[in-house]
Amino acid sequence: MLHSVALKTLHDQRRSLVGWVVAVVLLVLMYAAIWPSIRDQPSMSDFLDQMPEAFRSLFATAGADMSTPVGYIQIELMSFMGPTLLILYAVGQGSSAVAGEEDRHTLDLLLGSPVSRARVVLEKAGAMVLGTLGLAVATGAALVLVGRLFDLSLPAGRTAAAMLHLALLGLVFGALALAVGAATGSPGRSRGVAAAVAVLAYLVNGLGGLVDWLRPFQRLSPFYQYAAHDPLRAGVSWPAVVVAVLTVAVLVAAAVWGFGRRDVRG
Amino acid sequence: MSSAPVERDDAIRAEAVIETHGLSKSFGHAVALRDLDLTLARGEVFGYLGPNGAGKTTTLRLLMGLLRPTRGSARVCGYDVWHESTSVRRHVGFLPGEPALYPTLTGLQHVDYLSHLRGADPYPRALVLAERLDLDLDTPSRDLSKGNRQKLAVVLALMPQTRVLVLDEPTSGLDPLAQQELHTLMREHVDGGGTVLLSSHVLGEVQRVADRVGLLRKGRLVAVDRLDALRARSLHHVHATFDAPVPVAAFAGIDGVRELSVVDHTLTCAAPEASLDRIVKALGQFPLRDLTCTEAELEETFLAYYGRGEDDAA
Repeated sequence: MLHSVALKTLHDQRRSLVGWVVAVVLLVLMYAAIWPSIRDQPSMSDFLDQMPEAFRSLFATAGADMSTPVGYIQIELMSFMGPTLLILYAVGQGSSAVAGEEDRHTLDLLLGSPVSRARVVLEKAGAMVLGTLGLAVATGAALVLVGRLFDLSLPAGRTAAAMLHLALLGLVFGALALAVGAATGSPGRSRGVAAAVAVLAYLVNGLGGLVDWLRPFQRLSPFYQYAAHDPLRAGVSWPAVVVAVLTVAVLVAAAVWGFGRRDVRG
Repeated sequence: MSSAPVERDDAIRAEAVIETHGLSKSFGHAVALRDLDLTLARGEVFGYLGPNGAGKTTTLRLLMGLLRPTRGSARVCGYDVWHESTSVRRHVGFLPGEPALYPTLTGLQHVDYLSHLRGADPYPRALVLAERLDLDLDTPSRDLSKGNRQKLAVVLALMPQTRVLVLDEPTSGLDPLAQQELHTLMREHVDGGGTVLLSSHVLGEVQRVADRVGLLRKGRLVAVDRLDALRARSLHHVHATFDAPVPVAAFAGIDGVRELSVVDHTLTCAAPEASLDRIVKALGQFPLRDLTCTEAELEETFLAYYGRGEDDAA
């Protein structure tokens, strides 16, 4: 199991990943269990319709409709809670990759071995990608399988598409945390910058449709790539996937560059 | 991942195993190391001596590619320590000053992981080292005592049997038996043609194992000498009391005498071993009441010959 930096990192993740999966499954279970009573309450949709537009565009993606399974999950899980969890997970992994290990001083042990700094970053990024995808797969599987128990039927293919975009959303901020952590060695700064940018990106996307001067920036938000095309209904948007993957690649390259030219603290 | 590298060109590339030229490191405005010129050969233990904060750890971290030189350069086994750091580390076993381990991993898991990072199966040598240092490899490192964590870090640094060992205060926290065993291991390493760079602020340790000693003060290497040469010059404190006042002139001309003071009936001075004979003969001219002669600590000898005045230079 401990045959490479990537495998070691996954080995370290395994306990916390199990915890995250359990949490996500419980969350999905809770949403699914409430679903039958929500479905039978048409007033919920009226309530949504009456919400201020700004509020709706922040908390509910396009075409919010609580009376269908897809609309319900979109509002309850995909618009806020799901992204929050995936981003938290990926940012945690990204910041602990280099900065966390440096903070715990174990980087000396690792870099006492003939392993290049670039390889450390790349293998740790790989482990972050696998862990985040794993969490997204678990979330999607829980949605489809648990949903069936409560008559909350979601199309498996579209759910998978939505999970792909959800994982990519998390990874963009995870890669940002990785890059900041690799360049500074500070886990706090790494998480702080990633969280601040995530909140900003969320607001820009949510309000971009309403506020004129924000509109040009809306498309830059990873949240726009994630949800603007409505993946639970429309499936995968390949341009959005490409943008997200490129963003992650550029940030990982920045992490390699930033880490490769600085002092490592003892 | 490639398997253990072929070392065919290394023997040619490096008779000087470690070589630094004007190696300097500053952190902001603070200069941690200035213009270090140092060459280490095959088959020697080099004791890198100096008080805490003198720049020993900075030097070692520069050699390991953990710090980027501000000026100057260094090569280990022929490889540049910054630009070819990965190759350097293939030939070096490194023990950091305050080694941190992975808390949940056992000793064996550490051995497993770090062996694979060198492209090898777990080194059998690790078991031998653990046995010799009396270390249990089955305990998670967080449950080990400080001394045992240090032992594990030593095992990890020594197990690949690299040509060079860079050890930062390796015996700190070790019990005397383990210290002794580690000294034996260092001697075995150089007897097999290896090289050890050993940093320490404990003089006794360096005295026991080193072939050469370098003294670092405030970021400057102020002296390098062979330990046996240093011993020959080892400073002695002479304190003599006479029945009657004696003239200073009778002693002032003796070669190597320092800090000579004659007050009334009493003489004190410091002198290297080589001057003792002449001092005793000079003392014999006068009726002597009492005489003591004690050997100074090596560090004092060191400072007496090389170190004075450095306080102003930093």
